[in-house]
Amino acid sequence: MGIPFGYVLALAGIVVVLGMICATTRRNLIMILLGVEVMLNGAAIAFIAAALRWQQLEGQAFVLFIIAIAAAEVSLGLALIVYLYHRTGSLNPEDYQVLK
Amino acid sequence: MIAVGSTDTTLLAAIAATKLPFVAFAVILLLTRRRPRLSAGLSLTAIAVSLASAGFLLVKHWGIARPIEYAALWLAGGDVSVRVGILIDPLSLIMLAVVAAICLLVQVYSLGYMAGDPGFSRYYAFMSLFAWAMTNLTLAPTLLQLYIFWELVGLASYLLIGFWYEKFSASEAGKKAFVMTRCGDVAFFLGLLLILVHLGNLDIRELNGAAAGRLSPTVVTAGALLIFGGIIGKSAQFPLLTWLPDAMEGPTPVSALLHSATMVAAGVYLFARLFPFFSLSPTALGVCLAVGTVSMLIASTMAMVSRDIKQVWAYSTISQLGLMIMGLAAGNYVAGVFHLTTHAAFKALLFLCSGVFIHAFHSNDMVVIGRQGGRRLRVPMACLVIAAAALSGIPPFSGYFSKERILGALADLPNPLWVAAGLLGAFLTTYYTFRLIFIILFPAPGGEDTAQSHGSEHGHHGGYAVMAWPLVILAAVSVALGFGEKAVAQFLLNPFGSVTPAAAHHAWLPYAALGLSAAAMLLAWFEFGRRGAGQIGFVERVAPLHALFGERWYIDRAYRWLLDQVVYRLFSRLCARNDQKIIDGAVDGLGRVIAAGGGRMSILHTGMVQYRLIVVFVSIALMAIYFFI
Repeated sequence: MGIPFGYVLALAGIVVVLGMICATTRRNLIMILLGVEVMLNGAAIAFIAAALRWQQLEGQAFVLFIIAIAAAEVSLGLALIVYLYHRTGSLNPEDYQVLK
Repeated sequence: MIAVGSTDTTLLAAIAATKLPFVAFAVILLLTRRRPRLSAGLSLTAIAVSLASAGFLLVKHWGIARPIEYAALWLAGGDVSVRVGILIDPLSLIMLAVVAAICLLVQVYSLGYMAGDPGFSRYYAFMSLFAWAMTNLTLAPTLLQLYIFWELVGLASYLLIGFWYEKFSASEAGKKAFVMTRCGDVAFFLGLLLILVHLGNLDIRELNGAAAGRLSPTVVTAGALLIFGGIIGKSAQFPLLTWLPDAMEGPTPVSALLHSATMVAAGVYLFARLFPFFSLSPTALGVCLAVGTVSMLIASTMAMVSRDIKQVWAYSTISQLGLMIMGLAAGNYVAGVFHLTTHAAFKALLFLCSGVFIHAFHSNDMVVIGRQGGRRLRVPMACLVIAAAALSGIPPFSGYFSKERILGALADLPNPLWVAAGLLGAFLTTYYTFRLIFIILFPAPGGEDTAQSHGSEHGHHGGYAVMAWPLVILAAVSVALGFGEKAVAQFLLNPFGSVTPAAAHHAWLPYAALGLSAAAMLLAWFEFGRRGAGQIGFVERVAPLHALFGERWYIDRAYRWLLDQVVYRLFSRLCARNDQKIIDGAVDGLGRVIAAGGGRMSILHTGMVQYRLIVVFVSIALMAIYFFI
């Protein structure tokens, strides 16, 4: 119990914000997807810290789910991105304006 | 209040007299439109029963002193109550009989006149509607009921004037009649509201009785003047008189009905109906007297130059109605009502005779009728002369008696101007009447060439006999009615305590009137009748005067100008501008605002995934702040 709970929570927050910035500012679909992954990991950190803090296992179990879902999401997202790249020849979300 | 001694037969007869024509109207319109003979039969039966009931009522209640009233409460709220029902008093009885009789005769006549017309059933339906409206108007005990049927009379006359609606001028004339009378009716309705607000009900008897004394003189004057506005419109008095000559576009029997017993007579009837009420306000009576005089003189001058036989009678109707209003306004109730009665007979006769000529010669122009041998039609010609003599007030005929009474009433007034105007009117009336008679009777030489081709018109018109009988009956009535003067006067005055106002005797008056009539007849004979006469009236020699009279004193022009300049230029334009700028602008503006707003909002829909992401994050952050802080 060396590191206080608040610090870990702050770290989780920083990671989430970093992921957020990455997801909203980069003009590349892959980087956006990465940003979302980073945010998920930030959330996972918060869960682990909370599981430790209250000595409950559910938090850790949740993180396993998050990792699994993140993996599935990344694989699916990457597949979609590859398909989009094939269709439009671009990874920039600004170019996807078919519905506009 | 129901007078003692009235029995149910009275009520039944009154209901039969007033409601049957409506049944005929409804049945014809709904069921028997395809069967003209049946429709005519229905209509005739209804009006015949109506006349029989009216005659029964008249005989049964001859000499009643107290009015009989059947009424039910129809509308009540707060201080206001309005009843509907039937009011039987001498005035309504006489009027009912006149209306039913004229309606029946005109309908019989129409069997011949309208034979073969594609709208035969429709014609009889409207005739029944007319009869229904007028009989109910006559027996109305409250002004509101009277007003309702007053408007229905207007509607029926609109339908009948525009009966040949394929003809543009006919539909225009119908519209003109409707709109012009409506102008007066607005005033009438305002008058009703004024009285209703101040008195709380619209009972004619209360209005004529003591109740009106509770009203302030200002209210009485205003109410009387407003109601008189309706009379002006309905009876075609100055300045709303120009619809009546145009109403000649309808079939001639319709004109006969319209001019004698129904439409225009309704105005004078209303005046007589409210006579005690009007008498409360000397100002209103003065205005009525002036309007009647002006209408009488103006219309007579118009009749002096018109060549259209029906238009001459139309102008003469206006002038005679003006005379009746003068008589009533001069304070002589009997004179006005009696002239209304006699006028109904001889004016219907004049129109029906003219109808025969028009039917036979297919022309309204008196000169053409004269050239084509109008005098060969002996029965109508004789009847026309009788009616004309009655109109001019020649002694043995009915017009003489009623006219003398009115002139006597005018002579009673302190101002000699009125009786002078009345005498001048009598002179003009005789002049234009005999101008027409002489033109038809003694056509200008050289014009007889076409007479042969029309000489045998009798045989071609199967309806001639059926058209001739009403003429003969009406002619007999026109002759005989004058001798009933005393009885009618006594009957009419019964409710007023049978005190005949001892009129000052004006021995000189009949001589003056007769002398003027004779002079006018001589003048007419000199100009139109004698052999080798130029057939040019003295008015026609003075071009400006001729133009003035021929153009109806430019009253129509004035209305046209008013319409063009004020209504179309000003009001219509303001309305159009309001429509275009304000209403259209508001609708367009709403659309524009929404479009512009959509433009602004469309920034949100750039299609950029990341912007939405930002929105999601921001809203989560805001929610976090809201929930946790």
